[in-house]
Amino acid sequence: MAQSIADVCIVGVGCTGGILAKELSSSGLKVVGFERGPAPKKSDYAPRDSIRFLVRTEQLEWVRHEPTTTRKKAGEAARLQYRTSPLNVLGGALLHWTGQVSRYLPGDFKLYTNEILSGNAERAGADLTGYDIIDWPLSYDDLEPYYERFEWEFGVSGHAGTNPFAGPRKRGYPLPPLRHSARMELFAEACKQLGYHPYDTPAGILSQPYRPPPPFDTRIRERPACVYCGHCNFYGCHVHAKAATLYTTIPVAVETGNFDLRTNCKVFRVNSDSVGRVTGVSYFDPDGQVREQRARVVILCAFMFEHVRLLLLSKTDTGRFAKGLANTSGYVGRNILAHGDVRAMGLFGAFIINGFIGPGSAAMRIDDFNGNNFDHAGLGFIRGGTIGTSGDGTPVTRIDVLPPGVRSWGQEFKEYYTRYYTRTMDLNMQPETLPHKANRVDLDPRHRDRWGLPLPRVTFDFHQNEHRLQKFMAGVGEKIMSATGADKVWTEGKGRPNRWAGGTRMGADPKSSIVNEHCQTHDVPNLFIVGSSVFPTMSGYPPTATIAALSYRTAEYILSQKQWFA
Amino acid sequence: MNSNKNKRQSSKALTRTEARTLEAIAERIFPKTDTPGAVEAGALDYINLALAGDYAKLLPLYRRGLRAVDRHARRKLGAKFMHLDAEQKDVILADFEAGEVSDFKAAPEFFKTVRYHVFEGVFCEPQYGGNKDMMGWRLVNFPGQQFGYPDPYINERVDLPPIAVDYEAAEED
Repeated sequence: MAQSIADVCIVGVGCTGGILAKELSSSGLKVVGFERGPAPKKSDYAPRDSIRFLVRTEQLEWVRHEPTTTRKKAGEAARLQYRTSPLNVLGGALLHWTGQVSRYLPGDFKLYTNEILSGNAERAGADLTGYDIIDWPLSYDDLEPYYERFEWEFGVSGHAGTNPFAGPRKRGYPLPPLRHSARMELFAEACKQLGYHPYDTPAGILSQPYRPPPPFDTRIRERPACVYCGHCNFYGCHVHAKAATLYTTIPVAVETGNFDLRTNCKVFRVNSDSVGRVTGVSYFDPDGQVREQRARVVILCAFMFEHVRLLLLSKTDTGRFAKGLANTSGYVGRNILAHGDVRAMGLFGAFIINGFIGPGSAAMRIDDFNGNNFDHAGLGFIRGGTIGTSGDGTPVTRIDVLPPGVRSWGQEFKEYYTRYYTRTMDLNMQPETLPHKANRVDLDPRHRDRWGLPLPRVTFDFHQNEHRLQKFMAGVGEKIMSATGADKVWTEGKGRPNRWAGGTRMGADPKSSIVNEHCQTHDVPNLFIVGSSVFPTMSGYPPTATIAALSYRTAEYILSQKQWFA
Repeated sequence: MNSNKNKRQSSKALTRTEARTLEAIAERIFPKTDTPGAVEAGALDYINLALAGDYAKLLPLYRRGLRAVDRHARRKLGAKFMHLDAEQKDVILADFEAGEVSDFKAAPEFFKTVRYHVFEGVFCEPQYGGNKDMMGWRLVNFPGQQFGYPDPYINERVDLPPIAVDYEAAEED
């Protein structure tokens, strides 16, 4: 193929890549998008198959070629781990996500100011040894208009004004909340009794058929409403009610004629020149041949593990980028983040829950214990988490939801499960994790992927603030579950890492961060990184709405740099 | 993709003797009572197909584990596993679960694996060879691969007959 110079190269066409592709190609820029996975067909997930998507996930073509290795701390050997996020498929993890789309709280962007400078951490008696907390270089108000665009282009179902802790918003949600399930009713009632403030989780799932109205992007096609099938989290939606770039922004980008989408193409290096600008990418084409694509601007839109890996693989032999591209600070791979969800479960003798009816994001939620919404004096930790109902699942996925003391097999198990499968309910607490110096991603020295590239090695553990917070959150969950009238209540108080962020963090100081508020690398003006990897701190909420908002905002910034494309 | 290829194409992975020992184990993990157990629900067919396909890597663990079950049963209770009574079988399986099998370090891993696979065989989508006539789903009152639910069924038993999707007929785009 002739070597033409693209205006923009997008690496990874999932959530952020799908949004940026539409925004940039619609303004006339020539965009090339590289996706290392295939384009899925509707028939791949139409059967609502729990064995395929939840039990044998390691066998999924979208999972098995791109594991990471993982360990708890430096010095340990890292073991292979197959993960469903990232999902290596066109459209990325938005294909199979739950759809919780809360905007971050205004305070979530200013942890250094609000927790440390304010004296809050000291009043709490928190031990912040080992943590590395900074403010985001932007605020909730900076992101507000872009949250709104995401909500109205993808169609979010919710009830504005019902969460007293939420930041101000100029416009409500485009759609009313999803239908209430048994667990939502029980949770809401219990929370009201306890004086908390339950509200409908904003969901990236359509409660009614939807197409964006003006002034939003009316080229996005209409999609039908959720049918509540319950095969939702980890499945592709068989009616396309789930907010996914695959059937919203990506088709619009393709229709512009300016978006050259290359699936099954794996970028393995971002190339740079002697003056420290990036010149394009090198990639394996679907036949495994090495190819190059030149570009004026490169945007990394993959999962956070991959961002770190690519920057480290793109190091130069000498000069500024000998430690990795855009890594003069040495911060690439550092301060990675993940929620440590804890759960509370309840069994009901006299109430049928039918938890298999979906979707998971049809949930009630409280933020009374999120962020800095409660008094931390003397608690020994800072921050919090959101709490909501969860617990959908087919029978094959729920066999480990067992109260303590019930045998996990045999007649006792059979009697328990046949009685209680339809009569259990879960609460999910999503405690925030603080950026810790020991948590990082680097290149695995031993394990390689099928292209011969070192795998990303994840070193991650929870530390003292997380341990205290997770224990506290499990206690709150237990209290709420008891108030629902459940006959038996138990908790799983030990968090498992989930929903990753960090690794190429955003900050005002180029000496301790990788990108600025426009997701532009401090070191390389024509290299951008968009995704949860830029989060310097997380929130009690999942990252997706904020990732999407950053994508719209970054696109606007790139489009304002007209001289780059003249 | 692989789910369709995994259909009943191949010969069975386990020998007849291995299958009979596994059958005896499966029936203790999810026993027949006044309702069907694992064997009647087709868990063995599920596991045999899986070991010839997606789970082929686990076949050596099964082979070693099944031999260890008989060895442990003979040593501790004087007979092959399948000839023990129900209570004795549970004693042997509990030893595997707890890792109290001196000459087989992988006992807990083997037990855990078989436990998961038996339950998969009882509750899987019938396309995978188990959950015969959606027997497993009926037992727990799960209505299967429904297209959706027009009603939230709050504190109400779902009275829909269970549905299994015909993968061949699943819509293409």
